[in-house]
Amino acid sequence: MIQISYLDYLAIEGGSFLHRLSPGVKILGIGFVLLWVTLLRSLTGLILLYGILLLLFFISRTSLKVLPLTFYPLLFATLFIFISHFQLHFILLVFLKVLSAATGVVLLLATTPYPFIFQTLNRFLPSVFVTALFLTYRSMFILLKVLEETQHALYLRGGFQWKHPWRSLINLSNAFGHLIMTGINNSEKMYESMRLRGFKNRIHYRSD
Amino acid sequence: MSHIHLPDGILPVWLWGSGYVLAVLIAWLFSRLIKKEDLTRRLPLLGMMAAAMVLGASVEIVPIAYHVNLTVASGILLGPSLIFLATFVVNLILALFGHGGITVIGLNTLILSLEGILGHFFFRAFWRISNRIIPVAFLSTFLALSLSTFSMIGVVRLGVDHYEELLHTHEKKGLFELKLLKEKTGHEEHEEEASEKVNFRRFMAIVLSLGFLGWLLEGVITSLILRYIYRLRPELLWMIDKG
Repeated sequence: MIQISYLDYLAIEGGSFLHRLSPGVKILGIGFVLLWVTLLRSLTGLILLYGILLLLFFISRTSLKVLPLTFYPLLFATLFIFISHFQLHFILLVFLKVLSAATGVVLLLATTPYPFIFQTLNRFLPSVFVTALFLTYRSMFILLKVLEETQHALYLRGGFQWKHPWRSLINLSNAFGHLIMTGINNSEKMYESMRLRGFKNRIHYRSD
Repeated sequence: MSHIHLPDGILPVWLWGSGYVLAVLIAWLFSRLIKKEDLTRRLPLLGMMAAAMVLGASVEIVPIAYHVNLTVASGILLGPSLIFLATFVVNLILALFGHGGITVIGLNTLILSLEGILGHFFFRAFWRISNRIIPVAFLSTFLALSLSTFSMIGVVRLGVDHYEELLHTHEKKGLFELKLLKEKTGHEEHEEEASEKVNFRRFMAIVLSLGFLGWLLEGVITSLILRYIYRLRPELLWMIDKG
């Protein structure tokens, strides 16, 4: 999850043609990739799609550090192949669909700053939903900071050890409890400051 | 484990499409039920709880690859209407990181919010019987998670015909050729048909056995978290009822 900030950094600092492309076009592109992934059932077509996405990944000079993120969904796809009788064709089909969709999404995130994505979504999604999305995104960075500090405290209290499962569960729960309590306190302060600035269920972006 | 970790392109279009339609309809209904001032006041809290849920999903307990959902804790703190919006947001963000596909956001929202809403009502119902926070929170979480896991299995079950189609996609081309080469006996055909069928029982067995461990773990963690909140700021657990 720490990679959220790294992706954000890549999206803001990058200067490739994909970075310069309008967020609307890129979201449309992702829609096209997902449509292809959903409808296509031929291995050749999926290999071609994955190849194109990998090519875009390297052309946009996206850091290889985020490539493993695209493999993460394979972990969950593995569970699904138990449904089949481990047929090679089915496994390849599922894995290629997963890899293509994940690479497309990571490519979008690594080349488009979040506020621009939210701004585009704001045009066709209810403003309350986009505001909630924005506040969640902002809160994630606040809580990540708290989580980092809490991890030190957790470590000093023994951290998570399989030798002492009950003690470890209490430590983990206290850490989450602390995270939630700090989050709630912060949200109350955030609400007060937002009200002072005239917040009414909608966040306005620079181009609004 | 109680939500669909399936990536894009596996579930049939009609299934995930209906998930989106239903989720949007319920979201619209809930947005009519909640007061505007109440929504404004609670949006930052919704953001924080949704962020905590996203962070919870990123902390995996390694040997069984389980992550905490925090949906029941969030459901108790946010209430039924806002937990629906929160799970929508959480699923969208998680999907952007490959945790479940973008096409299944609607279905995942329905399943996860069911968990939060059930947890909310179970907690309130059990609290009337006993005022001991740990057993009440544990039981509410365990029941909510088990019911939402069964609903997830039910949703995946609806797409079995589609998985069978996917399984046999590559065989369609060679089907005619195969029949010319060899004529099968009735027994062989029956055996082959059985082996080609989607093995849903195996899927259920894996999900339920891993899920059971998950329900226990989440139950313990949620009850300890709620005990922590109850000790420091008990009013937060009943904020929804007071408005």
